Amino acid sequence: MKARRGYDRARWALTIAALLLVAFPFYWMINTSLKPASEIFLSPPTFVSAHWSLDAYATVLTKRPVGRYFVNSLVVALGTTLISVTLAALAAYGFTRFFPRGATPFIVFLLFTKMLPETLLIVPYFELMSDLGLLNTYAALILAYSSFALPFAVWMLIGFFRSIPRDIDEAAMIDGASYLQAFCRVILPLARPGLVAVALFTFLIAWNSYLWALVLTTDSSMYVLSVGVANMVGEYRVQWNELMAAAVIAALPVMVLYSLLERHLVDAITSGAVKG
Amino acid sequence: MAASPEQPAHATAGRGTRRGATPWTRRRRVGYAFVAPVFLFLCAVVVFPLLHAFWTSLHRVRGLASTFVGAQNYVRVLTDDAFWHSLAVSLEFTGTCVALHMTIGLGLALLLDQLRFARTALRIAFLTPWMVAPAIGATIWLWMLEPQFGVVNYLLQAAGVIAAPLAWLGVPSLAFASVVAVDVWRGTPFVMLLMLAGLQTIPREQYEAAAIDGASAGQRFRYVTLPNLRYLLVVASTLDVINTIRHYDTIGVMTAGGPAGATEVLPVLLFNTAFRGNRFGEAAAIGVLLMLIVLVFAIFHIRFTRADLENAR
Amino acid sequence: MRTFARHIAMLVTTVGGCIGAVMAAAQQPIVLQWQTANLTESQYEPVWKATIAEFEAANPGIKVEPVLVARKDHWTKFVAAAQAKKAPCIVSVDLATAAYNGYLLPLDKYWQAEPAEFRRAWNPDLLSASKWQGQLYGLPIWGGIYAEIYNRDMVAKAGLDERKPPKTWDEYLAWAKKLTAGDHWATTVLGGKTDTTTRVLLMWIWSNGGEAFNADMTEATFAKNPKSLEAIKFYLGLSTKQNVAAPAPTTTNYLEQTNLYAQEKIASMRNAYWAIAKVDGDNPAIKGKSFVAPGPANIDNAPTLAVVTASSIASSCPNPDAAWKFIRFDAGKKWAVQRAKVANWMPMRNDLADEPEIKADPLLLQFVRIGQNARSYPLPSPIWAEIAANDIVDAVQRALLAPDKTDEIFRDLDARLTKKLRGV
Repeated sequence: MKARRGYDRARWALTIAALLLVAFPFYWMINTSLKPASEIFLSPPTFVSAHWSLDAYATVLTKRPVGRYFVNSLVVALGTTLISVTLAALAAYGFTRFFPRGATPFIVFLLFTKMLPETLLIVPYFELMSDLGLLNTYAALILAYSSFALPFAVWMLIGFFRSIPRDIDEAAMIDGASYLQAFCRVILPLARPGLVAVALFTFLIAWNSYLWALVLTTDSSMYVLSVGVANMVGEYRVQWNELMAAAVIAALPVMVLYSLLERHLVDAITSGAVKG
Repeated sequence: MAASPEQPAHATAGRGTRRGATPWTRRRRVGYAFVAPVFLFLCAVVVFPLLHAFWTSLHRVRGLASTFVGAQNYVRVLTDDAFWHSLAVSLEFTGTCVALHMTIGLGLALLLDQLRFARTALRIAFLTPWMVAPAIGATIWLWMLEPQFGVVNYLLQAAGVIAAPLAWLGVPSLAFASVVAVDVWRGTPFVMLLMLAGLQTIPREQYEAAAIDGASAGQRFRYVTLPNLRYLLVVASTLDVINTIRHYDTIGVMTAGGPAGATEVLPVLLFNTAFRGNRFGEAAAIGVLLMLIVLVFAIFHIRFTRADLENAR
Repeated sequence: MRTFARHIAMLVTTVGGCIGAVMAAAQQPIVLQWQTANLTESQYEPVWKATIAEFEAANPGIKVEPVLVARKDHWTKFVAAAQAKKAPCIVSVDLATAAYNGYLLPLDKYWQAEPAEFRRAWNPDLLSASKWQGQLYGLPIWGGIYAEIYNRDMVAKAGLDERKPPKTWDEYLAWAKKLTAGDHWATTVLGGKTDTTTRVLLMWIWSNGGEAFNADMTEATFAKNPKSLEAIKFYLGLSTKQNVAAPAPTTTNYLEQTNLYAQEKIASMRNAYWAIAKVDGDNPAIKGKSFVAPGPANIDNAPTLAVVTASSIASSCPNPDAAWKFIRFDAGKKWAVQRAKVANWMPMRNDLADEPEIKADPLLLQFVRIGQNARSYPLPSPIWAEIAANDIVDAVQRALLAPDKTDEIFRDLDARLTKKLRGV
């Protein structure tokens, strides 16, 4: 029993140590965002300050339209999630039910599409969007981000749908439902954990992406958060506390969302991708 | 119409006749309808730019004017030392990062799996680096690693580990180690998540059986845990390699490939060639080469581990 | 009868529709996009907002839309847009590279159409810096003149006389040794991965009578010209041999350098006037503590470096006339003075000496005086953007990390650059 407890204690010690390493940058980010400008460069640096205030946040929200950026990010991320989940669910269903042996080559094809580096795709993609008149629209970003998210989404959902037995669809269709109705009314609800996982993952990709939004939006009222935050890095001046405040604002929504839905994420991966 | 070899036998029995004269074409057509949206979407949004990139790689691009030069860009790139150096750095970086992601990720998952207390909170806490945009995470680390005003040097000096502030990003060996460390911080949570999920599907009975047989903890790990996780390990490592080898944000923000090219991985070389050197044709060639490298890796990796993407174990 | 009525109705609607469309198009304001890396600098913001407001008030029907982008991404965004022929109408970019790639519109016809009194405000050599292959591609709007900026408190504490700043290299080294102590250094050596590294290196080379390139930019002479090599060794040696420079030079860019100066960790910096506005903003306690002198040199009349920022029109702009109107407006005296006062950006016009706000600023006058003998930057090569921020910086970083190999490193650089320059 003593060995057990010693073992447990060692476990805890390691966990706490790892946690400190992982969480320290966030603590530092929040600490810096609360400091007044005059304290940023103090050496030795202050870990807790009597002068902590929300001034940087106030400045960032009023001086820069961070609220507007936030809304843009939200629209783009939600749009991406909607499109990706829909397309991926349709495709995964199609493959697992109609072309089971085609699933693997398709996954390989998807992986292949991910292999080309982003930088290369920017200019032709910009031309395409420009020709379609979609510059400075949510649509351009949603389309781009959906293409990034699809490979993993389809992979996971294929795994997930495979674990739902065919008899269920067949039972639904015996009652006269069409394929689509069986899909929507019966299969999708069963697949909810997988869908939630894919949705979370896609939301994250869309929320954090930077390079494409940078190139595809020129109107500052269309900027997303990641671009807005980056604009605060001027070569001539970086207000670290304001930059960190903006970074905290950018990171919060994803963290809140994940905390609420984390349970689904692990469940989904458990039953989906793992079993193959 | 003969049954298509794609359709497994049991799906054909009975149902077709029950719905009254349903030929394979009809079922097939419905299947296509489900699958088509993704194909069309990807063709428009990915395949077109991809082909365009390949086409560009065959041209010498001077701003808005381009001339067809065939394979000349590839020759130029392959005979340039900078490319081979960059490739070496990329392989070193990717190899080190993925190895660390997998080992630390698995280790963390094992740690967290057994904990009862505050399980969800801990899981979220460990996932946080993954939830922050890579560019933002890199910026935070950039600030922390600043030689004169950064907190890392301060803490290390206060703890007596180093005597004078170190230039974390200013010396080649340290710069490489720093970007690897930051990438490990960024990329491990995702692997940890996958491993955690995997650990939870391992049936308890297998562990109990092994314990009854007198297996030690190490043996249990080797003979129960690892084989069960094999499929997931392959999935995770493949995705990780593909993601890491094309990752730009972290190194782009922290060192832009410096100092003296010590951290110039292929995506950074590509970016610099395209947007600093304005040599889009050559940049496209580098991109295509990078893609081929990844493709070759993926093929060998999956063959080598003989992991079936269709069935686990 | 009914068909006739129908035809009339159709005719009326068609004509009405056309007129409506024409009127709508006529009423639609022309929208000019304006992109320059400095729009995100907080000190410049009030000035450009006022500029746009006044311009739009004076020109109904033209709207100016600023494109805000972080400095490091400015070129990327511009190139992506230019390649798709949708670049912002008004831009400030690396002129030679952009012109060479066909991204900019030649401005000669607009320039020639301006009255002589307007054109007189720009010196011909200044204009030639904005020309490419004989054609004018940009109107110089503002710039920066580099000099050595010192912190008078730290200088006094070291027992040195601020009225007698160092003129030669030896004097500079003597000062530097006195200005370096326990927790502060005399200066920094810039070795970070931006083109400011190249700017300072060039100045040191010129201060020894050396040259980095031959006259028509087809050959690099960093190592080939012995005076250049000597200068490089001395300058980099400040960090590697003499230890009078702050550590970590390979990650020191403008930002780190000004941070160090603002926090009084270094006593001097080679920088432009705008740096003083920056450090004053970072650390108000340092306001008024800076004085200026020309950089030390081993020859008489060593030139300093003047960075020129010009406003250009993108070749894909559908409304170049309107764009020129704005550029001309922005280049006016009023805004030049504002920029100088608020952001410490050097005006490019030569007719401002009598403006009261200019006369009242002694530091500005000093910079202007030092700038009488300046060479313009960037250098006129279509691959300058790459050379300055990649190849030369690489060589500097290598030399900082392995000082014994400096000769070899810069000989390599010469060979590599010459090859690139000839292959253009």
